[in-house]
Amino acid sequence: MNIIEINELTKTYGKSRGITDISFQVKEGEIFGFIGPNGAGKSTTIRTLLSLIHPTSGSAKIFGKDCIESAPEIAKEVGYLPSEVFYYDNMKVMDLLKYSSSFYNKDCTKRIKELAEVLNLDLTKKIDDLSLGNKKKVGIIQGLLHEPKLIILDEPTSGLDPLMQQKFFELLQAENKKGATILFSSHILSEVQRLCDRVAIIKEGKIVQVEKISTLKENNHKKFKLEMKSSVDQSYFELEGVSNLEVNQNHVSFLFRGNINTVMKKIANIQIANLWIEEPDLEEIFMHYYEKEA
Amino acid sequence: MNIFLYELKAYRKSTFIWTGALIVLVILFMSMFPSISKEINEFKKLLEGFPEGVRKALGIQVDTIGSLNGYYSYIFLYITLCGAIQAMNLGISISSKEIREKTADFLLTKPVTRTKILSSKILAALTSLLFTNIVYVIAAITVANAVKVENFSLYVFLLISLTLLFTQLIMFAVGIIIAVVFPKVKSVISLSLGVVFAFFLIGMVAAAEEATRYLSPFKYFDYSYIMNHEGYEWSFLLLGMFLIVLSLIGSFVIYNKKDIHTV
Repeated sequence: MNIIEINELTKTYGKSRGITDISFQVKEGEIFGFIGPNGAGKSTTIRTLLSLIHPTSGSAKIFGKDCIESAPEIAKEVGYLPSEVFYYDNMKVMDLLKYSSSFYNKDCTKRIKELAEVLNLDLTKKIDDLSLGNKKKVGIIQGLLHEPKLIILDEPTSGLDPLMQQKFFELLQAENKKGATILFSSHILSEVQRLCDRVAIIKEGKIVQVEKISTLKENNHKKFKLEMKSSVDQSYFELEGVSNLEVNQNHVSFLFRGNINTVMKKIANIQIANLWIEEPDLEEIFMHYYEKEA
Repeated sequence: MNIFLYELKAYRKSTFIWTGALIVLVILFMSMFPSISKEINEFKKLLEGFPEGVRKALGIQVDTIGSLNGYYSYIFLYITLCGAIQAMNLGISISSKEIREKTADFLLTKPVTRTKILSSKILAALTSLLFTNIVYVIAAITVANAVKVENFSLYVFLLISLTLLFTQLIMFAVGIIIAVVFPKVKSVISLSLGVVFAFFLIGMVAAAEEATRYLSPFKYFDYSYIMNHEGYEWSFLLLGMFLIVLSLIGSFVIYNKKDIHTV
């Protein structure tokens, strides 16, 4: 079952920015990554899902309901953590969380205390006096306290130290095991790589690719580096599936996607001094997608 | 209900301060009444020295200024001014506060409709305004009884005092729509002061002509008319209500369609 269904979603702001024809689906129980550089349209897409922004055309459905028309109904089962958290300053942490839970008709006190303990947050402090990281924790608890079925995170890790990030990811994974679907937007690839099952890559307001992380990482690309005994013409390596080809005298490097035997045969025909075959990290694949488009 | 209570609590402090300010103002002005009424002839002569335009602009009626209600209606212009700022402030902060303090993301992603959010906020602000008016009127009557020289019509006194609430309601509604239309209000107080003083100045200039009175809510209630007829002018009262209803409907429509951007 699809938890999120986005159909040709478009939002234009005058001339600049915005998103064009965004379409993708997030399945139930998935941790779905949404990656792209700053200003690519991640937040715009997410804010449309949350009905903070109204789309110019196209539509989005959450739990099978239109996300603008049924916004309040959907919101009951959605937890949202914005990239920048700013809550009513003149309030204590506990008061804010109680205010937040008052919207869900549930008693969340126990859950709040559990989460606060895991995240090591003092509930009696004023939000005003909290550091950025601690404000972020308030945001995390606020997003999770009603045990939502869908958790939407917009660049959630900024301001958290590595230890807290780890705890936060563990929390998310625990929620995911309990059945929550997670949409995780980020520009930091390593965290997406670590957490997500599938990713959508967005660039300049358009979806470039939707792919499983495992497919992206393992099956598709190999990174070849060769050191040859004599120089070979660049065209020798121009096979189908080769990209990022760089020839520098006796050194050759490229990314390869496809049947590995074809490359190996090619390599077997020439005299080589050394050979490296590596798994490219997501970063490289990601850059590669961007460069191809640019 | 939770939003209403939260908002009420948020306005509590400023409501107390504004109410206090209005009461201090009425005490200050009214405490001068006994000495003025004692030397009313001198005072009238002084006022008659002013050109008629100036007198009209300041709302001075030489004939009636010697009576308590006459004097009260003259100083009431400044009470209304103060109250108008309070109402405009409330109206503007209602929706702009969320965006400026970046709490809109918090509130608008909760399972409530925007209509409910806006109406809860409006109701909370109205409650604050009502509180201000009730406390003010009680204080004003007490002060008036303390400084009176001879008996005065309590009915007319109340009619005059009630115009504070009407003017505030108009200003409040205008404030809401201003805040909803502008994408981001940086400073509530400077905007509200600007708008209120603009209306106030228009009111001073417009005082001379009957037709131009429609331009400023400060001139919807003519105090000498109230004193002479013991009632309000229906055309202006209706216009005021029309303005309020129109602003509110417009605000709801726009607020429901508004895009909330990241800051």
